Amino acid sequence: MKLAFEERGADYLLIMREEHGNVAPAMISKGESADSVRLDIPYQLVTILENIYPWLSKGKIAIITRRCDEKALAELVKRKYVDEKRIVKIGLACSEEQIKKCRCNDPVPSNVAVGEPHEGMKDDELALALSKRSPEDRFSFWVDQYKKCNKCFGCTLNCPVCFCDDDCVLEDRTFVAEPSVPPGLSFHMIRSFHMADKCIECGECERACPAEIPLLTMRKLLAKDMKEVFGFAPGDEKTVSPLNTTLEGEQLEDECDEC
Amino acid sequence: MTDFSPTILAFCCNWCSYAGADLAGVSRLQMPPNVHVVRVMCSASVKPEYVLKAISQGVDGVLVLGCHIGDCHYMTGNHRTAKRMPLVQRVLREVGIDERRLRLDWVSASEGEKFQKVVIEFVDEVTKLGPNPMRGVKF
Amino acid sequence: MPRIGVFICHCGNNIASVVGIEKLVEFAKALPGVVVAEHNLYSCSEEGLSSIRKSAEENKLDRIVVAACTPRTHEPLFRKTCEMAGINKYLFEFVSIREHCSWIHIKEADAATEKAKKLVAMGVAKAALLEPQRETESNVTPTAVVIGGGLTGLTAATSLVAQGIDTHLIEREGTLGGILKDIDIIGPEFKKTKELSDQLIKELKDSSKAHIHLDSRVTSSSGFIGNFELTVESKGKSEKIPAGAIILATGARELVPTGEYGCGSVPGVMTQLEFERRLAKGEVPKRAVFIQCVGSRQLGREYCSRVCCNTSLKNALRIVNALPDASVSIVHRDIMSYGTASEHIYRQASEKGVRFLRYGLERPATVIRKQNGLVVQVFDETIDEEIDIDTDVIVLATPMVSREDARDVGKLLKVPVDKYGFFLEAHVKLRPVEFSTDGVFICGSARWPSSVSECISQGMAAAAKASIPIRKGKVVVEAITSWADPDKCAACGSCVTSCPYEAIDIVEEESRRYAKVNETLCKGCGTCVAACPNDAMQQRGFTTRQLAAMIDALVKNALGET
Repeated sequence: MKLAFEERGADYLLIMREEHGNVAPAMISKGESADSVRLDIPYQLVTILENIYPWLSKGKIAIITRRCDEKALAELVKRKYVDEKRIVKIGLACSEEQIKKCRCNDPVPSNVAVGEPHEGMKDDELALALSKRSPEDRFSFWVDQYKKCNKCFGCTLNCPVCFCDDDCVLEDRTFVAEPSVPPGLSFHMIRSFHMADKCIECGECERACPAEIPLLTMRKLLAKDMKEVFGFAPGDEKTVSPLNTTLEGEQLEDECDEC
Repeated sequence: MTDFSPTILAFCCNWCSYAGADLAGVSRLQMPPNVHVVRVMCSASVKPEYVLKAISQGVDGVLVLGCHIGDCHYMTGNHRTAKRMPLVQRVLREVGIDERRLRLDWVSASEGEKFQKVVIEFVDEVTKLGPNPMRGVKF
Repeated sequence: MPRIGVFICHCGNNIASVVGIEKLVEFAKALPGVVVAEHNLYSCSEEGLSSIRKSAEENKLDRIVVAACTPRTHEPLFRKTCEMAGINKYLFEFVSIREHCSWIHIKEADAATEKAKKLVAMGVAKAALLEPQRETESNVTPTAVVIGGGLTGLTAATSLVAQGIDTHLIEREGTLGGILKDIDIIGPEFKKTKELSDQLIKELKDSSKAHIHLDSRVTSSSGFIGNFELTVESKGKSEKIPAGAIILATGARELVPTGEYGCGSVPGVMTQLEFERRLAKGEVPKRAVFIQCVGSRQLGREYCSRVCCNTSLKNALRIVNALPDASVSIVHRDIMSYGTASEHIYRQASEKGVRFLRYGLERPATVIRKQNGLVVQVFDETIDEEIDIDTDVIVLATPMVSREDARDVGKLLKVPVDKYGFFLEAHVKLRPVEFSTDGVFICGSARWPSSVSECISQGMAAAAKASIPIRKGKVVVEAITSWADPDKCAACGSCVTSCPYEAIDIVEEESRRYAKVNETLCKGCGTCVAACPNDAMQQRGFTTRQLAAMIDALVKNALGET
């Protein structure tokens, strides 16, 4: 069944496969056997794609994409990290269980090839509860949460739109004054700012966090802010981040006509 | 609370607000001694990271002052500032820190009086907000 | 380890009367990296500068911090001093403890001293991380452009061509002369205006270096000192003019009152320029009243326009010189006739029977129409009585105001304008004919209402200043451009889209993609630095580590160690 999609012209298929009792991402080439592939994708295949793409100079890659993968891909395409002409998206609709885990409000990809589409969730319960509390309460809450952080960088490494990799600004002392763990509030606030115009709410950060900090909730709070302040949500290939446009929403190419 | 005197960091752009601050000085316009100015070439070069770092380390208020929209020495620099700072305010808000601790305003080179007004108003506002809650927190 | 020298300036008692200099020096000595901390009465004086040089040599300093007025006055001077002491001029940091401290906290000496300590700590923290820079040179286009063909522009242009500099004079109207065309005789010498303007115009027309553009407007401007490019449009045709320096001499205009004193509706009530035109035609009235300060020195326009009193005195004298029996009154709120020559005509006017009546802002005069003329009713403050003056002509001395398009011109050249629309010079005393923007100069009434002699001096001054870069042939581009660390850069493109000058491109080198800044296009704004998520982009002289260190220094000294 999946092989049929290779008729979409793909040379490779990025998917999960079971081998020796372990389930891991696999890149299946055209013509290779597709035994024991798995469609219950537990995380962002786009993150895997991002890592191997620089090594694949030729060929089309088919990838199982959930709605969040699709949006993450759009953010990468916008920054020219990935050439969209080389990607074939095979849409996977998330199960109800998955939707609940992510508190996802946008779970259906643009084309569904696998899975049954389900409705998204409206609210993140924690976000809702926090919105009713005073700023002092919320401050205490987040300080307690963030104090658990031990800078494992699981959130950044697993994030599909975090692209600074080894050169993450949060690693050195310039903006994060604390010399060891836990890092101070600036670590998390800076991450919030950097993610605001990129985060597609896949929830990998929260799932990766060994300290169980509700990172996805914070991402969703900022997403709401982005919508309110700029009417912007990441995940679209055409829309430039409002942080890179003028007040009238114009991009540089439109405004500068001096040369 | 009445003894609290806030520590405020201000970023002023060389062409407009820093010159406006100089003019305020030349005109001997008096203001409270809480504001410490850092000179930058353009308000657009003020990284959100600076603001977040300062607040995280206990600075009570941050002022970012640039040229009026349309008058930026570097054309659209201040448009970028105008987009970034409200987002920084939201980041502060979500974590329970009063977003009024960050203020973005426009002061031209001829507006010594406006500089004075903004400083007095901001110091007053931050004094009322009280010390940065981060001051009591040790990570 | 840096070897920093901190030099605190007393600035006479401008700083010392508020800030505790000795306490500040002691504090500075203990700062990390500081090897020596001294103080001077006037750091910018020859004595002050040589003591800094001496100290730098004796203490083998490699960075200098001066805490004094403001970098916008003397930074170039101190940078030169560094160079003379063998220190790269970019290893210098200026801390303002005058404009930003002593002058604004006059009654809070203790708090001001504490603040000065923090400011010095911040400056030292930055200085410790400064890097020596090499400046790049740029050739200067050996051409000047003067915008405005009135008296000031003509003076500037003639001064420039006299030096052999190719000069383009851009004039909006079909003829040169500006407001001079409306004035027949100039005081206080009572010269014929035409003689002055004709002479200037002839000098220009006779010179092969002058290029006059009439009916022309500047519609766009780009570039920087030595390398400007202006687009000039004239009668539908467009021309690009490269220039090394630009002089703004667009002048001002007469405020035409909207109905005050019956102006516009009552015949016989007119503005000063209108009166000039009548006098030129020989229409000398037998009776005249000049009303001063119409529309100036009041709410909304608080300034004195400086030339209107002298103009009224000149015209009043013209009337009584032509008609000794004429009845002339000047109704004023103060007579501003400064300088010997003008004082002389004030006295002369009085001796020749011109009457002076003082009125108050709260009680302006009123104009009444009668069958055989007009009556000006005014409450004379000196004798506390209401006086009726019969007259044929009422001349309203209105102020010079900025031109309607002044703000647009300002935006075009990226130069500032004050609340009245007059252009703002870089420094009122030290740089009166320059803008902060290098290579653009200001003179004449475009800057502030100026008399004929003032316009001429300023035009010459601006021309002298403008000729400097052109003569030198080269300008040095300040080393505050940005660059991205190729190893750190993630090539996300945020800097590319945020740069207002399209100076950055993502390049591919050795299978590595990174952002590259074109240094000739980079203007050093730093927008790219703020857009960069991972600190790869840095601005010389304003690196993130330097600014972060300043924040750390503030936090440490204000809140204790964190």
